[in-house]
Amino acid sequence: MSSLSPETKNKIAAVVKRYPHKQAALLPVLHLIQNEIGFIPEESQAWVAELLDLQPARVKEVVTFYTMFLEKPIGRYHLQVCSNLSCTLAGANDILNYLIDKLKIKPGETTADGRFTLTTVECLGACEHAPCMMVNCDYYGQLTPAKIDEILDGLE
Amino acid sequence: MTEKEKYLTSLFGLKNLHQLEIYLENGGYEAAKKALLEMKPTDILAEVKAANLRGRGGAGFPAGVKWGFVPKETDKPKYLCVNADEGEPGTFKDKYIMSHNPHLLLEGIIITAYCVGIHHAFIYIRGEYEMIAQRLEKAIAEAKKKGFLGQNILHSQFDLEVIVHRGAGAYICGEETALLESLEGKRGHPRLKPPFPASVGLFNCPTVINNVETIANVPFIILKGAEWFTRVGLPKDGGTRIFGVSGPVKKPGIYELPLGTSLKELIFTYAGGMREGKKLKAVIPGGLSAPILTAEEIDITLDFESLVNAGSMLGSGAVIVIDQETSMLDVLRVVSKFYAHESCGQCTPCRIGVSWINKIVNRLAQGGGQPDDLETIARLAAAIKGKTLCPLGDAAAMPILAIVEKFKDELLGSTKH
Amino acid sequence: MVKIKIDGQQAEVKEGLTILKAAEALGIEIPHLCFHPAFSPEGSCRMCVVEIQGRPKLELACSTIVQEGMVIFTQSQAVVEARRSVLEFLLAEHPLDCPLCDKAGECKLQDYYELYGLFDSQFKELKEKRAKRVHLGRKLILDRERCILCTRCVRFLKEVTKTGELGVFQRGIHSEIDYFPGQPVNNNYSGNLAELCPVGAITDQDFRFQTRSWFLNSKPAICPLCSRVCSVYIDYHRGFPRVELDKYVYRIRARENPQINNYWLCDFGRYTYSYLEKNRATQVLVRENGHLVEDDWPSQLDLLAKKLKEIYLKKRTSQVGVIFNSALTTEELYLIKKLFVEELPEVNLYLLDPEEGEGDGFLLTSSRTPNLKGVELIGLQPRRFSAAELSQKLKLIIIFAYLPLGDNHYKELNSVLDREAKVILLTAHQTWLMEKADLVLPTLLPQEKEGSMVNVDGQVQRFEKALPAPGQARSEGEILGIVGRQLGIDFSFYQEIKKPADIFDKISQEFSWAEVSRD
Repeated sequence: MSSLSPETKNKIAAVVKRYPHKQAALLPVLHLIQNEIGFIPEESQAWVAELLDLQPARVKEVVTFYTMFLEKPIGRYHLQVCSNLSCTLAGANDILNYLIDKLKIKPGETTADGRFTLTTVECLGACEHAPCMMVNCDYYGQLTPAKIDEILDGLE
Repeated sequence: MTEKEKYLTSLFGLKNLHQLEIYLENGGYEAAKKALLEMKPTDILAEVKAANLRGRGGAGFPAGVKWGFVPKETDKPKYLCVNADEGEPGTFKDKYIMSHNPHLLLEGIIITAYCVGIHHAFIYIRGEYEMIAQRLEKAIAEAKKKGFLGQNILHSQFDLEVIVHRGAGAYICGEETALLESLEGKRGHPRLKPPFPASVGLFNCPTVINNVETIANVPFIILKGAEWFTRVGLPKDGGTRIFGVSGPVKKPGIYELPLGTSLKELIFTYAGGMREGKKLKAVIPGGLSAPILTAEEIDITLDFESLVNAGSMLGSGAVIVIDQETSMLDVLRVVSKFYAHESCGQCTPCRIGVSWINKIVNRLAQGGGQPDDLETIARLAAAIKGKTLCPLGDAAAMPILAIVEKFKDELLGSTKH
Repeated sequence: MVKIKIDGQQAEVKEGLTILKAAEALGIEIPHLCFHPAFSPEGSCRMCVVEIQGRPKLELACSTIVQEGMVIFTQSQAVVEARRSVLEFLLAEHPLDCPLCDKAGECKLQDYYELYGLFDSQFKELKEKRAKRVHLGRKLILDRERCILCTRCVRFLKEVTKTGELGVFQRGIHSEIDYFPGQPVNNNYSGNLAELCPVGAITDQDFRFQTRSWFLNSKPAICPLCSRVCSVYIDYHRGFPRVELDKYVYRIRARENPQINNYWLCDFGRYTYSYLEKNRATQVLVRENGHLVEDDWPSQLDLLAKKLKEIYLKKRTSQVGVIFNSALTTEELYLIKKLFVEELPEVNLYLLDPEEGEGDGFLLTSSRTPNLKGVELIGLQPRRFSAAELSQKLKLIIIFAYLPLGDNHYKELNSVLDREAKVILLTAHQTWLMEKADLVLPTLLPQEKEGSMVNVDGQVQRFEKALPAPGQARSEGEILGIVGRQLGIDFSFYQEIKKPADIFDKISQEFSWAEVSRD
């Protein structure tokens, strides 16, 4: 696939070698592709299928099963607000509403300038810092409207 | 019981503990040396069995017994999968072990693998813990360089490769057979048991699956012995647990305490009690899948049997505290939403039943509830319990049943009369 | 053998069987949806639960192996409640489509609801809305609202055809069956998916909205379109008293045969059946003054026998040409050998079959007739048809035509048949060949006969008559029997054979390969 960088392709080759069966490399390979492209387009799914000797349906089954894998592009910053119990007890609803008002989008949507995508997620494993959210792969806890302003202002 | 009985987290305050030199300076890899160079695999197994080390992921199955199920004679390779999926809501302890002391986990893995005759170990870590996965990879590289991993570890002639494998956002992959499916590159659909992973596991080979904290306890059992382990904890339930406390308490966080600690003590002494102006309403004692306890029911010790007798479970040791201002309907809403979202969809009762309950609860939450809705929810939950392909059905049904039973009056108030 | 107790009765069953299989052998039916004997157990529908004494939870019959001393209850209160529960869950998210669903009358949900359901719906929520007409490929349509996610379709394509077009996408209640964009189901076994589907989720366009299943009767038959000779069921309409239908045969289904086709049929065999009714030859026709006019069997068979006797006595049998095909039954081939090789010497025997097609490496073979092996095993050694050879002096040409797959293979006969020779045409279908014939005898297709075929692997397939004879048509075997008897060269032989089974008895006495199939 021409659109993947040689660096990613090398990483993919290395990762495939680590497993006794090619299919086991599927999740790591999909992570590598999404890290570079931002999502996993159909074209990539077909390419991975061929790489790992899988029927394409097997790849799409996996991409659509796991919450973290995306089939469509999203904003530059993925704001994933936890909506599980400890965070709800700590006011996650208010945090979510604050973001909805501030960014003028609903969960599942992306801002018009392509910067932010807002989603709700389940427990992130940071309940002692509730309410939490992830911005791409970074964790933020003890969120307040002020803290959110600070975080978002610091993002390009 | 005092803090000086802490062993697992006692070094967590040390700067750069995750680096190999610091770990070594503080007694790191001594247990691995003892195990590989002075003990036989059968000795290790006997010690772990005598220690009554129960699984710390949620199910509480004795680790030594599990290891013993792996066939001794087999020409298939054997595998170890460390369950670092940490998806049970309220749980965050393994994150601390892996980020503060990754080498402790690696040391536990080495001893476990040596005991069972395993040469390939996978750490299945939830996808969201990307930074921690990178830290683990660095630790593995360090360990390999120093001869603690790879071929002929410490000249013991024992080989071991450890691979970090990230999940991608699926709570069900914390269930051991779904974890195996995910590791094999498929959807996280749990498998029928029997056969059990000890005989037919990863790639159809004998496999041991253990939680991070369980494995992290192994070096201490080797160094200080099974007898010490049971003295620290309880005779049938050795060692400490790393409890997590979250909710409106003054000091949410992890607390390493011996099994048998009182729940009241954990909340009001160690975690500082309720925050200013908050009163206790209910407690979930072991992660979202553990049935809820009312404020009147928290006079109980945190160990496997006591909680089972109280109709709940120790689970992952994740204590979630709920205050009086919280509506139980909201709690019910969050619970049913979670399980509906995480159901893998394979079996009929969970796929349709949990979603059905979720739909009713949402209708209740939006003001469209009817008096018999609670009965329906209870009936559906009872129809799911014990009838599903994997424990997620129970994990959904039992908490929902407990909330509906114990807070019936409050919930009835939210239905139309 | 293991001793078990099931529903109160003691029984001894084979070791290693699942409870489901063991119960089946004892005549006890355990309901199941996702289980299919061709695949390993899935365990996801939860319908096949049973109670085992001493075990706290209900267990799955499809995947639990019987053990010595097991005490099993398949109808206990807990079991019946659990089945009702599964139905309640499935029907909660199932559309009330029965009035327009093809599967009505042969639907597992309907059947089990009658046995284990009979409750009123308590579902007050909005059902999941899903696509109701997804083209899966070939003739298949998927209605996702009806789908119960048993995954039989997915597993069939993974384990049997190994093409894996279908998968389960999304998760939880949003799970749905779909294919990778641009790669729908496209193999020669797609039709099995509509049969496999226990409900009306996957329907077959060939059958969609054509009729109701309860108007159909089934007869076991075989498929003659290649040399695999798969076992089938022919579903035909039982008819309405005052309405004439334009079709009789509505569907071909697979019939289980562990030796040949297991549970499957290829699409070629499944969907090619219009030849059974279209364009049939139904009247005895004889040429008078250049035109074909109707006549009756006795007179014409009488004349034919006399003609052959004449040729025989004048020792001119070398002027007779017989063109036959390998779609005839083994019994008919035996009679051809008796008459045209043993009794009438020096008859020129030719084999002319439809052109070979492509095999698919699974069931479909490249041959387009069922009984080529039969020709070989009966000991017929015909010459391959050649138009050049036929243009020598033949006074009488008898053609056993085979036309379900068209008449391409008779092209070359066009010029040859214009010569002096008299042409006798035995055919099941109307054809341009009739214009060259002096006598047309309407014949039957394999599904309308009793007899046997020998498939490509040497398996003998014996079958009964499944469909009625159209018009005046008779089987080639009957015709040869009558002519042979009237010829009188070996009168006693023809007296002994009253039906095809009698001929098969003779075959099994003469040939060892037929002995196994005596019963």
